[in-house]
Amino acid sequence: MDHQKAAEQFSSYLDGELVGAPRTELEQHLAVCIQCRTELEELRRAMGGLGRMKSRDHAPPTFLPEIQRQIYLRSRGRFFGKRWKLFGRIPFEWVSLATIIAMLVYYIIHLHGAPTGVKPAP
Amino acid sequence: MTVAERLLIARLKERDERAFNEIVRAHGDKVFSLVYRMIGNRAEAEDLAQEVFVTVFKTVDTFRGESKFSTWLLRIAANHCKNRIKYLSRRRTDGAGLDDLAEDKMSDVGRAPMQSHIDAPDVLLEAAELDRIMQAAIGELDEEHRLLIVLRDVEELSYEEIGEVTGLAEGTIKSRLHRARMTIKEYLARRTR
Repeated sequence: MDHQKAAEQFSSYLDGELVGAPRTELEQHLAVCIQCRTELEELRRAMGGLGRMKSRDHAPPTFLPEIQRQIYLRSRGRFFGKRWKLFGRIPFEWVSLATIIAMLVYYIIHLHGAPTGVKPAP
Repeated sequence: MTVAERLLIARLKERDERAFNEIVRAHGDKVFSLVYRMIGNRAEAEDLAQEVFVTVFKTVDTFRGESKFSTWLLRIAANHCKNRIKYLSRRRTDGAGLDDLAEDKMSDVGRAPMQSHIDAPDVLLEAAELDRIMQAAIGELDEEHRLLIVLRDVEELSYEEIGEVTGLAEGTIKSRLHRARMTIKEYLARRTR
């Protein structure tokens, strides 16, 4: 195996994708070729450096509010606009249902139980 | 795609704002990371990553679920990045003014990205220096090779996922990735000589 053919296989070797006879052949070449060993080690270090970059990248805290603002502006206020606090948090259907239940309870307790007949005049 | 993700996307297609917020929270860091590593400038990356999510909000109806949502999202990000890189390089070659050059010099290619925890100063310095060198090495590549390096070696996507993002065949990805890695290796070797 020559240097060029060996170098072409470095990527798949480091990815763990070189298997069987080609892997054995490359490893035999690496055992006797210091130039290829050095190059492989340099490539391994480069890939290691790239891998360490990921853990340090985070979107800034203003990321989501800024996107919402952009959509708000471009949709001319159709999306992500400010809403009245109560109805912005509680769906309107729930408020309606709660009101109906409260009225029913009031009716049952105060009106339904009360005598309905008209007292005869003395 | 999980049932929960499918439901989330269905809500997003109805322009449910809370569903959109969940999507941004779930994928924001990944998109930002990809864009930052492609562009190499934090302010530019913030702007572009936001643009990616605005596009998602606008065009989510075109997502048919044939690929994973995350790869569809990264495809949009990759296209935005390629367009921005082309635009920036055009701006440079079309007689960039002194202000532009100064701005480029001040770009935070060499600045350490924000960290979620505080390390010891020497560790921070070492990490920042490594980051600066690696980002400069990525900057040596054209946008196609840069994308492959970032997707595979930084974001650690599988070849299948990279294929979904780029539309390239696996063999093409591997050969281009190899060339990109060798370019980075040679750049780093030159730097340390």
